Amino acid sequence: MESKTLKPILAVYIALFILFLYGPFIVLGIISFQQGPEGGPQFPITEWSTYWYRHLFGLTPPSRIAPLPVGEALIRSLILAFMTMVTATVLGVMAAQAFRRRFRGAGVVFYLIVLGMMVPGVLTGLGTSLLANNVVHIERHWWSTAFVTHVVYTFPFAFLVMLAIMNRFDASVEEASWSLGVSPIRTFRKVTFPLIFPGVLSAMLFAFTLSFDEFPRTLFASGRDQTLPLAIYGTFSVEIHPNIFAFGVMTTLFSFALLAVYGILMGLSVRRAKKMAMQEDIS
Amino acid sequence: MSAQNATKQKTATFRLLAPGVFWMILFLVAPIMMIVYVSFWTQTTFAINSTLTLDSWRNFFASEAYVGALWTTIRLWLIVLTLTFVIGYPAALFVGLLVKSKTLSTVLLVICVIPFWTSFLIRVLAWRPMLGKEGAINIILQKAGLIDSPIEVLLFSELSVVIGMTQIYVVFMVGPIAFMLGRIDRNIIEAARDLGAGFGRIFWKIILPLSLPGVVVGAIFVSVMVLGEFATSGALSGRKVNLLGNVIVTQVGSLKWAMASVVGVILTVLLGIVVAGFLRIVDLKREL
Amino acid sequence: MTHRDASFRLEGITRRYGELTALEDIDFSVEQSGYVSLLGPSGSGKTCLLRIICGFEKPDAGRVWFQGRDITDLPAHERGIGFVFQNFALFPHLTVFENVAFGLRNGAVSVAEAEITRRTAEAIEMVGLAGLEDRSPEQVSGGQKQRVALARTLVMQPSLVLLDEPLGALDANLRERMQTELRAIRERLGVTFLHVTGSETEALAMGDIVAVLDAGKIIQTGTPDQIYDTPASSDVALFLNRFNMFDGTLSDGMFAGPFGTAAAPVARHNPRDVYAIRYDRTQIFDKGAALPGPALTARFLASEYLGSSIIFLFETADRKTVEVDHHLSFGEPRDLEVGGEYVLSWDPAQAIVFGKGAAA
Repeated sequence: MESKTLKPILAVYIALFILFLYGPFIVLGIISFQQGPEGGPQFPITEWSTYWYRHLFGLTPPSRIAPLPVGEALIRSLILAFMTMVTATVLGVMAAQAFRRRFRGAGVVFYLIVLGMMVPGVLTGLGTSLLANNVVHIERHWWSTAFVTHVVYTFPFAFLVMLAIMNRFDASVEEASWSLGVSPIRTFRKVTFPLIFPGVLSAMLFAFTLSFDEFPRTLFASGRDQTLPLAIYGTFSVEIHPNIFAFGVMTTLFSFALLAVYGILMGLSVRRAKKMAMQEDIS
Repeated sequence: MSAQNATKQKTATFRLLAPGVFWMILFLVAPIMMIVYVSFWTQTTFAINSTLTLDSWRNFFASEAYVGALWTTIRLWLIVLTLTFVIGYPAALFVGLLVKSKTLSTVLLVICVIPFWTSFLIRVLAWRPMLGKEGAINIILQKAGLIDSPIEVLLFSELSVVIGMTQIYVVFMVGPIAFMLGRIDRNIIEAARDLGAGFGRIFWKIILPLSLPGVVVGAIFVSVMVLGEFATSGALSGRKVNLLGNVIVTQVGSLKWAMASVVGVILTVLLGIVVAGFLRIVDLKREL
Repeated sequence: MTHRDASFRLEGITRRYGELTALEDIDFSVEQSGYVSLLGPSGSGKTCLLRIICGFEKPDAGRVWFQGRDITDLPAHERGIGFVFQNFALFPHLTVFENVAFGLRNGAVSVAEAEITRRTAEAIEMVGLAGLEDRSPEQVSGGQKQRVALARTLVMQPSLVLLDEPLGALDANLRERMQTELRAIRERLGVTFLHVTGSETEALAMGDIVAVLDAGKIIQTGTPDQIYDTPASSDVALFLNRFNMFDGTLSDGMFAGPFGTAAAPVARHNPRDVYAIRYDRTQIFDKGAALPGPALTARFLASEYLGSSIIFLFETADRKTVEVDHHLSFGEPRDLEVGGEYVLSWDPAQAIVFGKGAAA
């Protein structure tokens, strides 16, 4: 009874909702094909062209519009995201492993970790800069001050993902392994880790994406050299041109590629984890 | 448990947690305490020194602009929170509860999350050509004959900030709620229907309460992001909307660290009250 | 250390969880290899005891001895005691073969590849799983999973194997077959099996020795016959689900109960006065017939046919159910009228009497 009227209404609603979510993205996509270099970042489209995509890669004749300062910034963002991903995931796995047993102060530790995702970037960024400038007297760099702040932000996410995985993990396989004479360390390598690996992969993906797109914290904490979001922000105050939209489309495609890689890895990881545990010993 | 083994256990747990905990203390707790500390520092034109004073605090409360920013922040936060909830809940209901096949619901969730993968800043920017006088919305509405002249208030106003923020953050509301709804055992709803309960009743007594932890998590996510916002208000309101985050950024821009810290403390307190308030409603640790 | 020394001893094992005492001062020892059943209802602490012997948990007090060594502080992976889990705990990411070979591959002592293959194949053969080596655990049935778990443990050649309700997840038919097989395997290998179960028929059918556990304490140990014929307390008698039990008063060698009085020259010490007579020693008579012993009037409710015997259920005047088991080898059963009144009686010499006043 209730589903018959409710479901179609909500189905329409969800269609509108998705439209709402994608609206700016669609506009962004359309405008990226604006005529250049005179075309501006608004409607109407004077002429369809791929000018701005070519401009991104430096393939157009010089014009008064400066290319986006992305090259180095992109590399920095990638490296920073990678460093963050590794650190946050390792910390997350260790912390989740610790939480498998009850211990005193578990509540405090839990909220201390989760606090990291609840404090807005402006605040952690501000605080870190203050510390760096006035107490520790170091310069701010993307690979130091921004890095530690990124981990503060992503570690809780990795932790929560691993916690959810560990909760569903049946510990009796570990006990079975011990009873067969296999040491706890070896048990972790051969039994626990292969089974939690999909979770680890998700945690890594989360941490990487969050760091790659991370803006407020980095604004304060990264010092002279910019990461990608900072480079983009830098163009805000100046006139914007459709090249930034073309850039947005490219980064989205990059994200899709990342997601596809993740999907493939997930599919393979299940099979690979099994083989890993077996093959390695047979050889 | 014999004492020897209890200690062995504790060391293992300690070793696993120590790096993470120390990291958070050094790089999260210390910065926040630093902000509190510096808010009491003396501000000279371009520098600060550690002589303690209440000057910056007094300046904050004496200034209409700054206090105004506080009220604007709270007001905008409440509006966006309500909107994300009202708009997001039905979507979560559909995805989490009414879609039978698991693959379809995963696909829908992925679709909802994909926009999240475009750089945040670029998505903010994309609203300009949507909302402007010659923007997409006005063009469509005019072509459809619904309005005669373009709606001006869409861009560079508080409304544009609200629209932008709602669109960007609604996903954070949908996710947790859909997750909690998905965990509801359908048999409970079946049983209620067999007992004669109408949809309204089922919703109020079963669905809503069971989804509450998801609502709270979503509300916390949205609140944290909105309260800390400055990019969206900066890009879409043309300097008209000043949030606490904007104040911090501009203050830091002119090296007024003390004042920035004052605003930082106020923001922290505000956030603390909000999050603590939400956490009272639901014990998150249990839900996990 | 002899190869097949399966002796283990528990001394004063106590384990508490906060307010709850799971095990209290348990003393138990097994000298020679054999099949040991540990019988107890849920909550009796039997799984906890098993986990302490194997090393998954540490006792709050007491020591565990195995093969003459004190292993109480030894971690589980160094004890050399096998454990078969109730839910099998097979490694989901490995094949059947690799599951069985796991201990050989990853143990502290390095084993040559050829030997791993040989011993694994032998173990798989022994439990009757030949041909299933390449399947994954999801692809085999419950009974087969059981055998994989067994093979995995046995391939390590432990002298002591702990089995935690191993047959609980199997259907009745399979359970019976596995009972026979487990005994056969144990006998062939000459190791000790310590088998925990809540089913009294299973415990008594399988064990050479049976220990009865209740509320954290061992209340009787003995051969199945001893337990069945001479239960040490009315609680044990209750577990065995074999006796009609009546409350009453024991004094001066006479027991006064709902059946009148009966001679009770011998009694065991017990917290309460209880009179017990086996189901299959209770007999049915018509009213007025000559009786071998006390007379208990009861109304016939229903009967149940169990293949080789029939169960008759009666209800006494005070609404208590009394059961009579008639084994068909003793002749054809009587035709009884439902709702009819009959008299139940028995040879008082076969009754087991418990009394507060009896000598301890």
